[in-house]
Amino acid sequence: MTLLTVRDLRVDYFTTTRVIHAVRGASFDLAPAERVALVGESGSGKTTTALALMQMIDKPGRITGGNALLKGQDLLALDHEQMRRARLSRVAYIPQGAMNALNPVMRIRDQMLDGMADHGRRMGRAEARDFVAAALEGVGLPADVGTRYPHQLSGGMKQRACIAISIAMKPDLIIADEPTSALDVITQQQVMETLIAAQEQIGCGLLLIGHDMGLMAQATHRVIVMQDGLIAEDAPVDRIFTAPRHPYSRMLIESVPSLGDVPQDQVREPQKAGSAAVLAMPATGDAGPSELLRFDHVGKTFRGGFFGGGDVRALAPVSFALAADTPQIVSVVGQSGSGKTTLARLILGFESPSEGRILWRGQPVDAMGGRARAGYRQQVQAVFQDPYGSFNPFYQVDRTLKLPLVNFDIAAGTTDRRRRVEAACSAVGLNADEVLGRFPHELSGGQRQRLMVARALMIGPPLLVADEPVSMVDASLRMTILNNIRELKDQFGISVIYITHDLATAYHVSDYVLVMHQGRIVEAGPPRAVIKTPGHPYTRALVGAIPWPDPSRGWPPVGRSRAGWDAAPVIHGGYPGFVLESGLARAA
Amino acid sequence: MTRIPDPAPIASPSPPRVEVIAREAPRGSAAARILAIARYLRRNPQLVLGVLLLGGLLAFSLIGRLFIEAGMAQPLVGPASLPPGAEHPLGTDPQGRDILAVMVYGSWLTLRMGFLAGLIGMAAGSALGFVAGYYGGWTDRIITWLVDVLLTVPAILFLVIISAMLSTALTSFGMAMIIALLAWRRPARQVRSQILVMRNAGYVEMARLSGASVPSIIFREIAPNLMPFLISSFIIAVAAAILAGIGLEAMGLGPQNEPTLGMTIYWIMKFSAFLLGMWWILPPVLLLIILFVALYLINAGLDELANPRLRKRG
Repeated sequence: MTLLTVRDLRVDYFTTTRVIHAVRGASFDLAPAERVALVGESGSGKTTTALALMQMIDKPGRITGGNALLKGQDLLALDHEQMRRARLSRVAYIPQGAMNALNPVMRIRDQMLDGMADHGRRMGRAEARDFVAAALEGVGLPADVGTRYPHQLSGGMKQRACIAISIAMKPDLIIADEPTSALDVITQQQVMETLIAAQEQIGCGLLLIGHDMGLMAQATHRVIVMQDGLIAEDAPVDRIFTAPRHPYSRMLIESVPSLGDVPQDQVREPQKAGSAAVLAMPATGDAGPSELLRFDHVGKTFRGGFFGGGDVRALAPVSFALAADTPQIVSVVGQSGSGKTTLARLILGFESPSEGRILWRGQPVDAMGGRARAGYRQQVQAVFQDPYGSFNPFYQVDRTLKLPLVNFDIAAGTTDRRRRVEAACSAVGLNADEVLGRFPHELSGGQRQRLMVARALMIGPPLLVADEPVSMVDASLRMTILNNIRELKDQFGISVIYITHDLATAYHVSDYVLVMHQGRIVEAGPPRAVIKTPGHPYTRALVGAIPWPDPSRGWPPVGRSRAGWDAAPVIHGGYPGFVLESGLARAA
Repeated sequence: MTRIPDPAPIASPSPPRVEVIAREAPRGSAAARILAIARYLRRNPQLVLGVLLLGGLLAFSLIGRLFIEAGMAQPLVGPASLPPGAEHPLGTDPQGRDILAVMVYGSWLTLRMGFLAGLIGMAAGSALGFVAGYYGGWTDRIITWLVDVLLTVPAILFLVIISAMLSTALTSFGMAMIIALLAWRRPARQVRSQILVMRNAGYVEMARLSGASVPSIIFREIAPNLMPFLISSFIIAVAAAILAGIGLEAMGLGPQNEPTLGMTIYWIMKFSAFLLGMWWILPPVLLLIILFVALYLINAGLDELANPRLRKRG
């Protein structure tokens, strides 16, 4: 007995001159109480397939063929009014960004009751109160969450509230579109456990859309891999991870950075800078002191607004020093709100510290005059999280690459500039003819992010701040871009501060890892020590929550009580060239 | 449960992912650009209609002046209050002006006044808005405070006082300057809010990291992306300036010796054309309606261009 039978589903998008066949004949089944993953990279048609099941394809898209039988009734044949009634009551949808899905000016309970009323279920005051309390309790939220507004809830609570809304009518099928992609691993684990518990209790089917094979291994029974609008592979979870038949499935599985099985014995010897600086410019100014960057009890507190309540301490005072002659990759790992991005913006000079001093080559950054400041600008570069926002949509991508060459007087003349841009493109594995002369929207996220690495390479700064450079890039390209960043260090002697929420990638690229929680450093050390033998309870929870592509491994229980997360920081020893000062413990 | 066999890897006969269904010129060529613009305009008929109406009005005035001398729009060129006839196609007013000549020269003067005042107001306002939005801090507070205070003062009060003081020496050019004095407030506030949104865009931070100077960030990174918005604000500023100008003129505070559309309205009221049922009310009112509808359509069309969220697809 199948719950959902999809046969030969086709969805086309029409532009003025082209038809894009987004889904080209997808067929699959879903059994009752089965959890099925629909995975693929951006543009593979996975979300389009799911939206088509609810007839939620927006213009200029159109469902051009196929059927989807839910308990024998064709969802695609329903008229507008029938479909409206079927949504929520029979097919529920959990959107990607709960923060955007909830109405900011309505209380959670009103948003829940809204959907009920829309499906003809009106309740009295007491009944409604009990209903909301029960629904929230089902997702592990206290009943008083119902009276709150979305901005008063954390990301994980909002996503759980969304789950509560979507399962309130006990649907036959839940479609969850990357429900945890905006959350950190610990919250991701809690939300997924909530979702699975709710689904098992109702006994409905769950179609989980995503790109993270690790997560799918932990959460689903069966995996459907989509590529270019076609189903590449459809296999039970224990088969696909042990013996994937389609090369694309294998690639997706291999692209998950795992903590254990990759040989990590390549002991990274610290090397002297400037070994192969063909492209990289020598740092301007003379060698100066041996310290590149020093944080001297630097803290940042954001003042509360007029109504905003108290001050927010984004970063507790921290002291460290980065040596100038040892290129290295220092990872700063933490969930949102941990202060890692504040740290990055302080280094870039986009924020100024509220206490302490930042010294660049022995000189306080705050006291720098125009010329020195310009030099600092050039020597500390960045790769940002969002490859879409980093390019000005008005210009061809060339301009973003050439701008620093012109402003910093790195290359004279257009031919020299062109030559350098082309060399940098090929250094990050891009074909210059394919990417140059294009507008940002014509390139993929991975291409853009690699262009950003190429840009950093051309400037050749001693220090690069990479703020979540791969979190918005397709899985298959993540390791490529991280390897590009590794090469910056290995070949061009560029030190990198790698900001991430993902311990697994930090494990792969870095020489030293700092784990941050609520503005404090809680654990620091070489990646092996931090990840293999985490000493701090928070780090242990973080390491435990990382999903990896092994269905036989369950999630370890999260310490629901966050007890111990305030414990003193654990320092595992240093790395030549990076000194985390003991003042840290005192400051914390 | 029936299990579907694993589909064969992409060998199965399926159509290509992307099919071209209409003529496409080579990427980046002039032909491609023209085609793209033509296709866009076909989806945005308001913009086309607005531009056509405004263009028609301009053509009426610019071509008209080739056939009609400027002197015809002055008083006493013909007998007073003539109905339309062979000599004076739209007749004459009680002071003996040829109405057709007044319309030809007046619509030009009115348009010029609006565009001048709109341009000056827009330029000054967006400069202030750019500065306030980008620098923030005290600069922003002072500018925002000034704009907020001035916005609460009814513009017509200022304008009446100033034009009453200058009444005898006033020309339509002077009118434009007086209106421009207050036309910068709204653009300043609108541009500031747009800059606040864009200031922290990734590409602005990238430009800062690329050593770009503040003027270069404002004019070369942010301004191009604001273009549709700036043009649309400019059209609103023009419409507001024309409205303010006509308001003043209708009160008799305009240039007494120039045949603008607004002054014609004043003469209409002065000579009680409504009571006497004179037909020369119609031409200036019609021209003004066409003018405002054109500006509205252009603005709505540009709004659609500037706000992709409103954009229709298909």
